[in-house]
Amino acid sequence: MNDTFNLSRFGLLLKKTILERAMQIIGAFAAVLAFTFLLYTLILYSLDWGPAQNLTFIWGFIGGGVVLSSVVFSYFTTNAGGAAYLTLPASALEKWLCGVLISGLLFCIVFLSFFRLMDYTFVTAYHNGLDRSSPLYRSLYDHVYLYTFLDNNVVIKATILYTNFVGAMMVGSLYFNRVALVKVALVVCGLLAAIYFFNLAVVSLLFSNVDVAFPYFTVLIKVYSEVGNIELPHYAYDITNIFLQYVLPGILWITAYLRLREKEN
Amino acid sequence: MIQFQNLSFGYSPKKLLYQNLTLEIQSGSIYGLLGKNGAGKSTLLKNMAGTLFPVGGSVIVNGMVPQTRKPSFLQTIYYIAEDVYVPALTIKQYKNLFAPFYPLFDSNNFYRYLTQLEVSVDGKLNKLSFGQQKKFVIAFALACNTRVLLMDEPTNGLDIPSKSQFRKLIASVMNEDRIIFISTHQIRDLENMIDNVIIVDDGKLLLHASVADIADKLCFKTVSEIPPGARVLYSEKMLRGTAIVMENTDCDDSGLNLEQLFNGVTENPAMAKQIFSTN
Repeated sequence: MNDTFNLSRFGLLLKKTILERAMQIIGAFAAVLAFTFLLYTLILYSLDWGPAQNLTFIWGFIGGGVVLSSVVFSYFTTNAGGAAYLTLPASALEKWLCGVLISGLLFCIVFLSFFRLMDYTFVTAYHNGLDRSSPLYRSLYDHVYLYTFLDNNVVIKATILYTNFVGAMMVGSLYFNRVALVKVALVVCGLLAAIYFFNLAVVSLLFSNVDVAFPYFTVLIKVYSEVGNIELPHYAYDITNIFLQYVLPGILWITAYLRLREKEN
Repeated sequence: MIQFQNLSFGYSPKKLLYQNLTLEIQSGSIYGLLGKNGAGKSTLLKNMAGTLFPVGGSVIVNGMVPQTRKPSFLQTIYYIAEDVYVPALTIKQYKNLFAPFYPLFDSNNFYRYLTQLEVSVDGKLNKLSFGQQKKFVIAFALACNTRVLLMDEPTNGLDIPSKSQFRKLIASVMNEDRIIFISTHQIRDLENMIDNVIIVDDGKLLLHASVADIADKLCFKTVSEIPPGARVLYSEKMLRGTAIVMENTDCDDSGLNLEQLFNGVTENPAMAKQIFSTN
């Protein structure tokens, strides 16, 4: 018997994981998609297309991913729930993979499809509603296009944040048995605040008039009324990018697996 | 067979609950694990199920190490925790989703056990009362036909007829390859059901003996006066005299009273050890 991975057992586990808490998982998906739709609408009517598309994508994608990942390992709120999950005859790899598939692949497919459909509906309605005979038609038409997922810096940055926050949430939900979402949020906020102030202290030693000192790509300095961005040298930027895009999420997601293997209840 | 070899376990590294516990549990027996609240009964069960890991020594269950939680091991063991976890599924849905993980699961027996325990099969499991949920979990666990069945306070929440039915079911599913391990502080629920008694207190193994051995070494009776010179492990004033547990020197055959045995062993562990260490 293969104690590490067995495809038919994994299929049973995936089916069990989804159907066992179907309402919880579907409810989380529905809540995330409803939130995304509302946010898009609100920002569109109060600001503009650009902020509506960008902010909705960022909050829906990252926030939704984090919410989903807080659900997939939420068996440990009760002693019996945790024991039933840990003693279910499936390997830790299969259990971890189930969580990864739901909060990683399945969520991405559902969210991106929904976002594309929603964006398409809004943008098409906008384009169709324009007066073709107006001299401003071309410029109004060009004002907004379908949100592109490729070669979009916001999407790239959001994906980096998504993989890191989802990884942190999965690890956190295996450390904190109760209200993991809140506890992980507090830990992450505390960590980010510590990094921010540490970076601010370091940057302040090198530059005067530091405005914002969040590491990576948002170190800003103020020169009179102008604000300038201090960019990392290319090689340092590339190293940081690789670390944040692959190394840190990799560490977090693998830590979730190791934690699941070692989890006691 | 389950072997504890110099097992040490503690929730804090500074304060160990169990230290160098060595114990062997044989197949084909129903074990009753008795202890006060906080004595470490659930901890012992969890170490066998692999949901807690020893800090020293080892636990081996039928040649496998529980803490690795390999599917091949988990298929052979079923652990019923003290509280109950049931998802919002019907009994049929639950069976369809969970039973395939247990290759020896017997569907016919499952429904038979449910009928015997009078579990309502309609509606979602999470809407059932605690007692009904507990009986459902017991029926499912028995139907899984695992070689090891660990139950933590299984009779908590069961009504009187269900307790009796539970005892009958346990007796009916027992076979030579199986180990049933029941932890409880409701001692009377185990009477006439178990064939081995383990008493733990404060992380120490105070007694591990078969019921036959206990009956051979101890005498349980009610007397008007305690016989002079008797080694009395436990005495308790009652309406009709004094209930005593004393060393059985006259080969008397008396019925086992688990509650009195437990009180005697926990109050007088040194004497219990002396009595049970002699052949």
